[in-house]
Amino acid sequence: MNASLLCLALSSSYAGMLALCLGTERHWKQLAAAAPLSLRAWCRPLGVLLLLLALLLSLQIWPASMALVGWLGMLSLCGLVLLLLLPYAPRLALGLPLLGVLLAPVFMLG
Amino acid sequence: MSNPVSKTSVVWPSTLGRIVLAVAGGYLFTYGFTAALARLLPLERVDALIGATLLSFAVYSGFVLWVFARPLRNALWALPVTLLLLLIGFGPQWLGGVQG
Amino acid sequence: MSRQPSLTQSMSALHTWAGLVLGWLLFAIFLTGTLAVFDRELTWWMQPELQDRQVDQASAVQVAQRWLAANQRDASAWNIGLPTARDPSLSVSAGEQRRGQRTLIDAESGEQITPRETAGGSFFFRFHYTLHMPRFLGIWVVGFAAMAMLVAIISGIIIHKKIFKDFFTFRPVKGQRSWLDGHNASAVLLLPFHLMITYTGLVIFFLIYMPAATDALYGGDRDALLRELRPDAQQQQGARRGEGGRPSREVQTASAAMLPLDHFITLGEAHYGAGMLSSLSVAQPGRVNARVEVRPLLGSRLELTKGEALAFNAITGELLRAPPPTRTSLLVQKVMAGLHFAQFGGYPMRWLYFICGLVSSAMIASGLVLYTVKRRRQSAAQGVWLRQVEWLNLACVGGLMLACVALLWANRLLPADLAEREGWELRVFFGAWLAALLHARLRAPLRGWLEQLAASAVLLLGLPLLDLLTALAVPDRIRLGVDLTGLGLGALLALAAWKVSTRPTATVRAARRAPAAMAEVQS
Repeated sequence: MNASLLCLALSSSYAGMLALCLGTERHWKQLAAAAPLSLRAWCRPLGVLLLLLALLLSLQIWPASMALVGWLGMLSLCGLVLLLLLPYAPRLALGLPLLGVLLAPVFMLG
Repeated sequence: MSNPVSKTSVVWPSTLGRIVLAVAGGYLFTYGFTAALARLLPLERVDALIGATLLSFAVYSGFVLWVFARPLRNALWALPVTLLLLLIGFGPQWLGGVQG
Repeated sequence: MSRQPSLTQSMSALHTWAGLVLGWLLFAIFLTGTLAVFDRELTWWMQPELQDRQVDQASAVQVAQRWLAANQRDASAWNIGLPTARDPSLSVSAGEQRRGQRTLIDAESGEQITPRETAGGSFFFRFHYTLHMPRFLGIWVVGFAAMAMLVAIISGIIIHKKIFKDFFTFRPVKGQRSWLDGHNASAVLLLPFHLMITYTGLVIFFLIYMPAATDALYGGDRDALLRELRPDAQQQQGARRGEGGRPSREVQTASAAMLPLDHFITLGEAHYGAGMLSSLSVAQPGRVNARVEVRPLLGSRLELTKGEALAFNAITGELLRAPPPTRTSLLVQKVMAGLHFAQFGGYPMRWLYFICGLVSSAMIASGLVLYTVKRRRQSAAQGVWLRQVEWLNLACVGGLMLACVALLWANRLLPADLAEREGWELRVFFGAWLAALLHARLRAPLRGWLEQLAASAVLLLGLPLLDLLTALAVPDRIRLGVDLTGLGLGALLALAAWKVSTRPTATVRAARRAPAAMAEVQS
């Protein structure tokens, strides 16, 4: 149970960081140049929501103050993963949250 | 932007002065600040001690940055201020004996 | 005199110098600190004689009680170290509690085991805050380095103009630009971690580093301060001394039947959580005034709960003393210390700290390398100084990594019954480091990096094989974890070594720069 929650929390943190990243002009052009520009304005609020979702999921894994620590750690590391994927594998960078969400139920079976 | 001649091949007296002021002077300043704050905080002795000491590392860092950001003559103002802080922190002890 | 440099210039110089000079120490502090996150697991890996019997704490304490009743019936006190998730060993000792004099027994059969003497993962823990110097000196040196780290972090933030614009920016294969990007990215993305870990590290020894308030308010009397901080600690000490600490001059009091010890495990777990106890001790076992103390595993709370215990009457099971609520200010300090010790939150949290620690170490290393990369392109006027920095970088970064993995290899390859075994393991550690230092001094920088990274990679990749060949049983969960982590880290270092080997030579790089320089001249 904990493992799948952790997987979901990581996916949500990553997706949130990805959304915030896409909200910037530089990275929108890099990753989503084809998509309509009006969508870009939604990225930042969506990102914040996903990060808050990640915090909620963290609170299911750990007690209150620990959850805050874990959440910040996850944000940092997910941001780093995103940063490393952007120059080398931009499509994987975009698809990773989906992979995470699909993986989560696998841990439930374990 | 960079100057090909290394600044570090000759340690300028002012740089050395800043380092001494930042490190040694900084510790002395922080020591005085912590003692003064501990005495001034309107809390129980133990709580004032813990509160002031926990803050001290931020104070020391700030002081070091300030020494390097300001012209050296401005930074020397730290010395009289330190003395004042030490007086606030230890004055009662020096003047009236220790209250244990 | 020179004109006053701008804020950016002065902060940049401060950042560079504080970072460079203390960076070598800071890398060592951060790397060993990161390894210390898994100190118990590493110690377990380094004692393959021990086996994980997968028993719960209540069953284990029964086994321990049987052993103690058989072998230490008349002792003044019993101490039992319970098996935990991180350290499944069961240990017992009698009389005054002393570290290192515990007997390890099998948690199922109660047979005594004698594992090999080893430096263990706790070597990394001690190295982390003392740098293997005498304790007092080491703590101060590490504290100084920590202050430099704080200064470097804040000055780094001040000079990083495009901190938000460049938040997710990483441009590889661009030489100096890439190193700067990597250094900035790892520093900025993990900024909360860096600030937290550095500040809380200082907070652990806060009264040693800044005794000003103690001197001002207590006249330097630390005992008076400790009495006010922990009024019940006096009680605890007095109780222990009277009933089990020093050899008692009292006539042996009448014997009485104690409740089975697993009863106290249940009581302890009710307070601290299942499996969350670390040890149990019995003062005056089997006698009328017997007391049981149950200690929690560090980590059931965020705050550091070292030294806390629940005390029970061993005959009736009545609760004698529970840990008193801590005053708020001390709680803040304990929470901060707890954040640094990272003993809370289970394995997911531990892994987060470990990965963050690795990234931090890499961040410091990237800063050190950036310094040399930046200046390699400049004139030869700095040649001598630059050469020193180059080999010091390699010796401190590459050398330490090699030494750490060499310690693990030494643990398995040195004979188990070698006298002074711990000393020999450390000799291998420092010997490997010295060899790496000499190697760094003698080789050209790029060749040196390639060779040392490759050597560490090979040793790490070989860890699972080493474990399989030298262990006395099938690797359990913990040993497997260490092996697989070694494998992963080895793969990363191998990748790094490969990147170093495929770097174009100096002539090719100069040729690449030539057209760019021509274009500059023409424009």
